[in-house]
Amino acid sequence: MLHNILTVFAKELREVLRDRKTLIFMCVLPVALIPLLASVSVKFVTEANEKARTETLEYAVYHQERMPELLHGFDDVTGFARVDGIAQTEIAAAIEDERIDFALVIPEPPEVGAAHIELHYNTASQTSKIDDRVEEIVDAYAKKVQTDALTQLGLTTAEAREGILTPVVVDTHSTADMREVIGEAAGGLLPYLFIIFCFLGCLYPAIDLAAGEKERGTLETLLLAPVPRVQLVIGKFLVVFVAGVTAAVLAIVGMGAWLLSEGQELRGALGEVVNSVSTLDLVLIGAMLIPTAAIFAAMLLSISIYAKSFKEAQSYTAPLNMIVILPVALAMMPGVELDGTWAMVPLTNTSLAIKELIKGTMDYTLLVLILASTTILAGLLLGFCTWWFRREDVLFRN
Amino acid sequence: MLIVEDLQKRFRLAKKGLFSKKPKTAVVSDPRHQPPWFHAVRGVSFQAQPGTIVGLLGPNGAGKTTLMRMLSTALTPTAGTASFAGIDIVQNPLEVRRKLGFLSGTTGLYGRLTPREMITYYGRLHGVDNQAITTRIAEMSRNLEMDSFLDRQSDTLSAGMKQKVSIARTLIHDPEIVIFDEPTTGLDVSAAQTVLDFIGECCQRGKTVVFSTHHMHEVKRLCDSVVLIHEGARRFIGTVDDMLEQTACEHLDQAFLKLVHTQGNPDHAA
Repeated sequence: MLHNILTVFAKELREVLRDRKTLIFMCVLPVALIPLLASVSVKFVTEANEKARTETLEYAVYHQERMPELLHGFDDVTGFARVDGIAQTEIAAAIEDERIDFALVIPEPPEVGAAHIELHYNTASQTSKIDDRVEEIVDAYAKKVQTDALTQLGLTTAEAREGILTPVVVDTHSTADMREVIGEAAGGLLPYLFIIFCFLGCLYPAIDLAAGEKERGTLETLLLAPVPRVQLVIGKFLVVFVAGVTAAVLAIVGMGAWLLSEGQELRGALGEVVNSVSTLDLVLIGAMLIPTAAIFAAMLLSISIYAKSFKEAQSYTAPLNMIVILPVALAMMPGVELDGTWAMVPLTNTSLAIKELIKGTMDYTLLVLILASTTILAGLLLGFCTWWFRREDVLFRN
Repeated sequence: MLIVEDLQKRFRLAKKGLFSKKPKTAVVSDPRHQPPWFHAVRGVSFQAQPGTIVGLLGPNGAGKTTLMRMLSTALTPTAGTASFAGIDIVQNPLEVRRKLGFLSGTTGLYGRLTPREMITYYGRLHGVDNQAITTRIAEMSRNLEMDSFLDRQSDTLSAGMKQKVSIARTLIHDPEIVIFDEPTTGLDVSAAQTVLDFIGECCQRGKTVVFSTHHMHEVKRLCDSVVLIHEGARRFIGTVDDMLEQTACEHLDQAFLKLVHTQGNPDHAA
């Protein structure tokens, strides 16, 4: 039995390794794309933030005589350039035409209550820091006005003024470390990438080994070999499975390589998080992806053997992409946390577990539960695949 | 010896689904079409002795391929029996496959493997040991003049070269019975000649041969007996001479058409 399975496995693996398309999806993309995506996204975010923080903002101001000191605040710092000659009625148009970045309309200071300064700017830009930078200056001005008023009332020390303004303060002591906070925010994306690469790694070999074999006319002669069909399926399944695991492991290796090369150079909290992901975490993430690859291999092989041609198999597997993406993306939704129930939901459980491993908050009991449930599902799907492969109406659909 | 007795095969007709297309033309009256079943092969019987060639004739869609797929154990018969050297094809399909070689005109090769790798693969699946595989490949390569392309990737081979590789693949385990399903389809004269020579050689070496073709000159040249199938049922069994005599035709093409277009019970003309 083992001889037959190994014979089929060795032959199929040899063929797969000679297929350029499979090699690209199995080896090149996972190794190259994850570090590339990570590097490019970090670079873009850093540069966009830096630019938003330091670029010179052009602005128009109306009724400046009502708060002349506020305007001094803008004059005293670099990064702001005043533009005159724009009528108040054309503020929106001027911002849209990019003649100015923002406009301030200063109201008549009220006798009682706060003065509401109007800040006009395009809020659609995600990287914009206009409100932060303007508020920083306005807050400093407001603080000065406040301090002057309280001093006139006899509160001459900072402590006395603080005691009146904020008599009770809540000091937050977060139990989450920085790794957990950032892992929660960004940790959903990595399992998504790992799982998708695992799926893509299985995809082409599965189509080639079943539908491709039908199309080439080699399946019938293979079925006439004195080998039980279950052994043929297992040999083919193992190749697809190995391809999926290889793609997933190479994606993790790509990630690991990026962490090693760039992680040390990343500054601040992100660098701290990156450096705290250990080798054991990466190994456990790899372990989570092994039964996942088996699920994909069994599913894709079953679909592929049903198809009459390579093209038909591709059209069947296209909707499967969505079926895979949805549960994986579910792990990125707010409120979806790893617990006993989610641990039983295929793919979402793996995705959540990888996220927890990145955050450093994995409950290892749940890890075992996920591994067990995923392995059982993979076994059932493999059972289905072997049964499916023995059906005449599947093998000889035409 | 191959004994086929009342072999039958039916398939369930596909149900009309939400998206199934309506047929553009009316379904031609076909006795095999009995919803929900399609009776592809209806009680075919014949025998083939070692060292003889049985020609399996019939128009396209007659049921020849289904019959040969049953004989080669790819499909399980719905009813009837077939056995080779006393081994039942349903009860012991693996044992039958060990003694069986199958070649068709549409059989493909593994494009990314070389002929040597592919033949070795099938040899191993048939339980032939490595030493014997090496010896047999060398022998067949010499006989079929395959030396020049034995280690070239199969994708790069011509149709004739590919058919030679298929022949070698069919013979690697030295089968006792060989089934040929339209093996010369799409081949040029030279490649077809190689295949026909090979079929004759199989017969001379005492193998039982079942041979399906549309070319009557091939039937005349090779077949010891003929089984003609139409609409899944046997219409004639006998020698080539019997076929000509019973139809009172000079040529096999005419005899074939006459038998196919004869209405009535199966084996009417036999």
